[in-house]
Amino acid sequence: MTRRVSAPIHLSPTTQTGIRIGNSAVSCPVAGDMDDGLEGQGHRLPDLLLRYVRIVDAVNHRLGRVIMYGIFVIAAILLWSSISKTFFLPSLWTLEMAQFAMVAYYILGGPYSIQLGSNVRMDLFYGSWTDRRKAWFDAFTVLFLIFYLGVLLYGGISSTAYAFEYGERSYSSWRPYMWPIKTLMCIGILLMLLQSLSELVKDVAKLKGIEI
Amino acid sequence: MGYETIAIVMFALMMLMLMTGQRVFGAIGFVAVVAALLLWGRGGSDLGFAAAMKLMKWYPLLTLPMFIFMGYVLSESRIADDLYRMFHVWMGPVKGGLAIGTIGLMVLVSAMNGLSVAGMAIGATIALPELLRRGYDKRMVTGVIQAGSALGILVPPSVVLVLYALIARQPVGQLWLAGVFPGLMMAGLFMLYITIRCQLQPELGPVLPKSERTVPLGEKLRLLRAGLLPIIIFGSMMIPFVNGWTSLVESSAIGALAAFVAAVLKGRMTRKVFETSVRQTLAITCMFMWIILAALGFGAVFDGLGAVRAIEALFSEQLGLNPWTTLILMQVSFLLMGTFLDDTAMLVIVAPLYVPLVGALGFDLIWYGVLYTITTQIAYMTPPFGYNLFLMRAMAPPEIRLKDIYSSIIPFVGVMILALGLVMVFPQIALWFPEYVYGR
Repeated sequence: MTRRVSAPIHLSPTTQTGIRIGNSAVSCPVAGDMDDGLEGQGHRLPDLLLRYVRIVDAVNHRLGRVIMYGIFVIAAILLWSSISKTFFLPSLWTLEMAQFAMVAYYILGGPYSIQLGSNVRMDLFYGSWTDRRKAWFDAFTVLFLIFYLGVLLYGGISSTAYAFEYGERSYSSWRPYMWPIKTLMCIGILLMLLQSLSELVKDVAKLKGIEI
Repeated sequence: MGYETIAIVMFALMMLMLMTGQRVFGAIGFVAVVAALLLWGRGGSDLGFAAAMKLMKWYPLLTLPMFIFMGYVLSESRIADDLYRMFHVWMGPVKGGLAIGTIGLMVLVSAMNGLSVAGMAIGATIALPELLRRGYDKRMVTGVIQAGSALGILVPPSVVLVLYALIARQPVGQLWLAGVFPGLMMAGLFMLYITIRCQLQPELGPVLPKSERTVPLGEKLRLLRAGLLPIIIFGSMMIPFVNGWTSLVESSAIGALAAFVAAVLKGRMTRKVFETSVRQTLAITCMFMWIILAALGFGAVFDGLGAVRAIEALFSEQLGLNPWTTLILMQVSFLLMGTFLDDTAMLVIVAPLYVPLVGALGFDLIWYGVLYTITTQIAYMTPPFGYNLFLMRAMAPPEIRLKDIYSSIIPFVGVMILALGLVMVFPQIALWFPEYVYGR
């Protein structure tokens, strides 16, 4: 089933309209492909999808590489907080600033963590499956993840819109505006959603034996 | 459909989704938002995001990235090598001494870090090869390292207790103090077991050869200095905290800084160590946070349903069980679930259901925090699912097979169940210390 895993991807403009077009009619040995109609030599990912995957993966990778140093930002805020508390007047802003930094850290870093494959899965069955079967299941179940992120984003946008409209502030003595962090969270969730879609495309590609 | 039925359907659906092998947070989050949308229509659509805002407000969770970072710095930079040397030289001449020393090493690592992964990594990379080379039984060695690393989440600082505190709405400081003596007691029981076993079967843990035993006293004393590192790191976190100069979270940042500075001073902070520590901290923090985020949404639906009250009524009124029977049944079911549920999943899924129930039954939630943690530790180690088992498999040399790893834990799990029973019967083991310090 996996004999054509290394079929090359062509970036010709003819592939833009769909997955099943291309040179398959010309180059596929007819008998050899009876086992699986989806597989065929030279099947390619539409140019658009391929570009989508590359761009999303690249953006999230770079963002993640920057965000990972956020651990030092969080630590610095906390250390400043302890110093100022011990030796000077305690700062008003440190507690909430650290919370904001933490949220930005894990939400904006989320897509990179998906790329790193660090999100745990329950591998009671999954662990012993072949790569192909994993891809089959993932291609379906990632839709659940996408749905969840979609609802999360929907709730996030309405909450952010509220924060903008009424100039929502936090209930604390520092009273920061809430819209900046909420906007950041929405962007992070959106990127997470885009990354999950990219994972879906990659799973489908794997099932078709296309390398990205 | 009654609320209990909805709750049970949700739970079953979630288990089913988890079995498909999708990322845990996706599976939990999906069930949560679908249930919210079905129950409350459009009003339920902001539940997911509301959980994110709630999570943001939960300040003690900031200790999580700090301890993860610290754990990576400690294990990747191998600054615990000297610590192992210390135990090696001092304990080597005793039967099974290196194994006892490894438990000691684990206690010290636990006192510096709040996760069991750090102890695991340190044990598997530093102690494991040494003990195997000295002819220790491989099952004994893998068992010791897995059991020892489990102490990381009971001896303060402990991240599991921080998460528990989030769910149970209990003060983290008291929970940490409550973990001290059960943790030390368990370490003591492990050591006792090793001693007895090695007296009976000396071939399991042979004494060091004579050539290695004759270390001059001056050298021996000099090695004791290695013990300063955990004391300094522990002290740098705990002294400001206990004196009220810093909060828990700020202390964890100081601890991370101390570990980092120690690694730099010892010249072990190479580019590779730095890169791995920083990257993995992000990866593991994201893994935890997204699961907690999804689970909070799930818990919010459960809260909205009043599912906990319904289940409590089921136990106490319809089945007519007294609180103790219920508690024991819960621990047993918890252990059973722990054998096939992933540890992080268990932490954030089972706890919101069990913890309020324990409270409703009239038990002390600080005390239950300790029981909960010990049960989680056991779950870490029991097949087919055990985080520690897989980590061990990944870190151990090839001559240790999965079968060895599985059979190695049996006696240690027995000891842990004994410890669990002791804390259940004698709650004061856990409670006297926080009561003494806080003077409740």
